[in-house]
Amino acid sequence: MITLNSRSRYVWAYLMITPTLLGTLIFWGWPVLQSILLGFQRSENFGLVNHWVGLDNYVKLFNDGEFWQNLRNTLTYVVLFVPVTLVLSTLFAVLLNTKIKGLSVYRVIFFLPQVTMPAAAAMVWVVLFAKDFGLINHILGTKVAWLSNPHYAMLVLVIVGVWGAIGLNMLLILAGLQGIPKSLYEAAEIDGAKRFNKFRYITVPMLTPTLFFTSIILLIGATQIFDSIYLIIGKTNVALPAVRSLVYAYYQNTFVYFNPNYGAAIINILLFINIILTGIQFALQKKWVIYD
Amino acid sequence: MKKGKKYPFLFAVVFLVFALVTAACGGNSGNSSSGNTPENNAGEAASPAATDKPQKEVTLTYSIWDKIQQPAMEAIAKEFTAANPNIKIKVEVIPWGDYWTKMSAAAPAGTLPDVFWMHGGQFVKYATGNFIEPITGKVQAGEINLSDYAADLASIYTLNGENYGIPKDFDTIGLAYNKELFDQAGIPYPDDSWDYAKLAEAAKQLSQPDKGIYGFGAKMDTQTGYWNDMLANGGSILNADMTKSGYDDPASIEALQARYQMTVDGASPTHQQLTDTEATEMFKSGRLAMIFDGSWRISDIDGSEIIKDKWDWAKLPKGKVKRANIINGLGNVMSASGKNKEEAWLFLKFLGSKRAAEITAEMGAAIPAYNGTQDAWVKSRPHLNLQIFIDQVADAVPYPSGSLAYPVWFAKEPEMMSQAWGGAVSVEEAAKKVADMMNQAIAETK
Repeated sequence: MITLNSRSRYVWAYLMITPTLLGTLIFWGWPVLQSILLGFQRSENFGLVNHWVGLDNYVKLFNDGEFWQNLRNTLTYVVLFVPVTLVLSTLFAVLLNTKIKGLSVYRVIFFLPQVTMPAAAAMVWVVLFAKDFGLINHILGTKVAWLSNPHYAMLVLVIVGVWGAIGLNMLLILAGLQGIPKSLYEAAEIDGAKRFNKFRYITVPMLTPTLFFTSIILLIGATQIFDSIYLIIGKTNVALPAVRSLVYAYYQNTFVYFNPNYGAAIINILLFINIILTGIQFALQKKWVIYD
Repeated sequence: MKKGKKYPFLFAVVFLVFALVTAACGGNSGNSSSGNTPENNAGEAASPAATDKPQKEVTLTYSIWDKIQQPAMEAIAKEFTAANPNIKIKVEVIPWGDYWTKMSAAAPAGTLPDVFWMHGGQFVKYATGNFIEPITGKVQAGEINLSDYAADLASIYTLNGENYGIPKDFDTIGLAYNKELFDQAGIPYPDDSWDYAKLAEAAKQLSQPDKGIYGFGAKMDTQTGYWNDMLANGGSILNADMTKSGYDDPASIEALQARYQMTVDGASPTHQQLTDTEATEMFKSGRLAMIFDGSWRISDIDGSEIIKDKWDWAKLPKGKVKRANIINGLGNVMSASGKNKEEAWLFLKFLGSKRAAEITAEMGAAIPAYNGTQDAWVKSRPHLNLQIFIDQVADAVPYPSGSLAYPVWFAKEPEMMSQAWGGAVSVEEAAKKVADMMNQAIAETK
């Protein structure tokens, strides 16, 4: 009786997730499989003819200095972007969790980048960072070519990236913060805990599951940086080699140079890297994430 | 309470999705039936038709990439439909930036447009893949005469003895100049006596960087840029049989350096400025005294209120070795997997006719390829010296496409040259890198 009942409940559950599952398999699983296969092939006639070439694409990739440079660029971006976003999002979330006037207005302001069209936002940043008439050079009193100087272009991308990412992550962390029982703080207050101690010993530990989740999402997202390079740096910018990411190289090879196989090899390496990184995070979570 | 509130919302979403899906389906089925369903209209068939078969209503798609030429193409299509009432033409404009991406997806899917514009650089890929229909049989049967077209343009669309395309137009490069800025500086307008040294000298005299006005737009560009310089200086882009790059030829490098020097001298906007605002746009707003530009930009520039009546064309300057110019020609081709090839051929033939060339010329859309119709084009804008584009055909060198390697090296070239134009590496270093890259691309696609 009980088993039958629970089984029929499972049937319902599976039925309910079928659309999502199908979507994932068709629009995610199938392309991933195709991409892995493409990496071992050489295509002709727009992909109608495929020759099996084994590891040729990967051998060429590992001997390509540009690939290593792109990998370094991607990792540099991740290392700069993820911690800064995580710290700033937490900071703003904590601030916006207090009782101040006009709270919802601030929340909207910080969430706004999230709902702005990336292309429109990029255009604004391009104008702000422009060398001759840009606001940033005007305020700083400098004459720096932010967008076309290889030393600064990465910095610009990190700033724009962080600006765009704070909104959503702040919201996630805010939800985490509001899930912390008030009774814990009340108990601590009775014990005479100071503000910092409450943050250190109650807020942070209780927030670790949320922080873990956001850090994974951020990391995977950061390794896939593409649109801001495409929109802000552009393809004939002298600083492009200093900021080109793996996904940008994938786009160039597949759609500009018409070599989908080499592009697939690049993107498969990224998939591999992401699996490893996420694996490490999951392994480490036992050390710092606290589930009740 | 809560549950009760949620359900109407859920229903609304489901309904919306359902509505969208059915709407999309409806649209699809509508499209496919409008084009391909044979309808017997034999009763009212009164038009001159080449075949005795019962006429069927057909809608052909004709894809082009230039919005400026759309009115002319539609006028041609209208005249064709007037003579062949059962064949309707849908002219579809896909901007150049997306055109080949879309075509490369449509080709393997078998959904290429019935008739479409072809570029010499892309032709080989489509011909070797059997995506476009050979017209060799029709040519041999005398339905069309390929020697009717100027400057051996039909050879661009010939591969291994098979003809695939009918020449549509050709384009050459001219020197556009702003008369007002020349008058202000008291410099005589460019003429046939100019050489590259004179160009550089005048560019310096015309520049007022503090006002944002420059003498010459020394843009990082190939067909409307340094390819002309390299050839005039005795260099080359590719050798004659397209097996080796000419970028590392000392004469080519010298020409590239001379162009870059104009930016260094402040006679031209910087690479960064020209990336932000296209040189043609700067010329249209009166901030450049001179640019090289293609004949296809005439109506675009002439449409600018700022510069209208204040500008004209001159021949490109002479180089150290010769006067040179890049000539290129577009072709019309038809899909090999089209469902209405007979009708598509009729339209393709009309596109290659003298009448279609005349319409193109009179509307000033492009220099028609059909011999003897170019005069009408020259006269289409009497206030401009368009004759220079025709005269320069004598000095012109064909656009260096026509190999499988071309799309690869042509896409990679600007990225490498931008390193030099942006000042990160020397021009010589970038040119040699491009040469290596081109040679490798040629070797890999053999």
